[in-house]
Amino acid sequence: MAVAQRGTASNYLQRAPSPSGLAEVLDVILDKGLVIDAYVRVSVIGIEVLTIDARIVIASVDTYLRFAEAVNRLDLSQTESAGIDELRSGGSKEKTKGALEGAKEAITPGRKDKQRSR
Amino acid sequence: MSANETPSPQPVYVYGVVRAGGRLAFDEAGVAGRPLELIEHDGVAAVVSDFPAEDFRVRRSDLHAHLRSVERTFEQATVAPCPFGTVIGSREQVESHFLGPRRDELERLLEQLEGHVQMNVKAEYDEQAVLADLVAGDREIGRLRERTKALGAAAYYENIRLGELIASRLAARREADAAEIEAVLAAAAAAAVPEPADAGQLLVFKGSFLVARDALPEFDRTLDGLAERPPRELRFEATGPLPPIAFATLEPEGAAWA
Repeated sequence: MAVAQRGTASNYLQRAPSPSGLAEVLDVILDKGLVIDAYVRVSVIGIEVLTIDARIVIASVDTYLRFAEAVNRLDLSQTESAGIDELRSGGSKEKTKGALEGAKEAITPGRKDKQRSR
Repeated sequence: MSANETPSPQPVYVYGVVRAGGRLAFDEAGVAGRPLELIEHDGVAAVVSDFPAEDFRVRRSDLHAHLRSVERTFEQATVAPCPFGTVIGSREQVESHFLGPRRDELERLLEQLEGHVQMNVKAEYDEQAVLADLVAGDREIGRLRERTKALGAAAYYENIRLGELIASRLAARREADAAEIEAVLAAAAAAAVPEPADAGQLLVFKGSFLVARDALPEFDRTLDGLAERPPRELRFEATGPLPPIAFATLEPEGAAWA
């Protein structure tokens, strides 16, 4: 509740030696690194779903309204964490839904090409 | 190696490139559960495992196996990692089409990467903190906000306008903050690869930094300094030290083989 009056590093900075979640792992190992001319790329069916949510852009009336609501609820003299937290958890649900829908669209068109051999 | 009667050669999955001659211990299986080995060629070597070409379906465990294999290599040697899913048609081709023709470039790359690690950094706004800060100093937002508050439920269009205004202020701030984060961290690193951070309203910056091992404490302190800077509306995540995956790049060479 008290939003860190005495900010130690851990409040604003999280460290991890290695990515653990699937989305984080994908972020590190997909589409980065030494690209070899003479290679066949393995198909990654189903994996796009998880990367998409990091890439999707949500800019819509819904987002605007969400911001407005958040700002309308802000009490500038002091922070009302409870109300905002509630709002934020609702907001992130929305986000996830949007991301999954986007992902569905993104993977449907012919991801069948198993391997592109040259 | 054993009796292999199929006429088609055995494809291999490639994890990355190291210098030849190193004694690397691979105690865990790689992608598809196959053991890791080295193919050496004239001073450089590829870390590979057999790849089951027929009906291969990527599993979650393969992603982790790839990363672990690269990390395990990185613990023991300087490595130029390949992206997930890199497969070459045969062992011979690894030498004749890759290690052979690109040998000099690979050696130069390994030289550049030697003694360096990759740090991934991500910064996001804390929504409450950043909105409070935006609203506090902005008259236009303040005025609109009074109106929406007064109108209550009838303020639909005013709310859209207010939200739109906030989104555009946020975008401007994000751009400035992203540029600053990149500049400050890049100054403490040997190289930087920022990623386009247009993914949602609160993500400010995402990128990888190549940092010399002995400069890591300095990089960490710089990161701490950024995170602690008022108004502290940013939340940072730092992952690493990782193998220098984002920095292992060669010039494309399309005509090398056809």
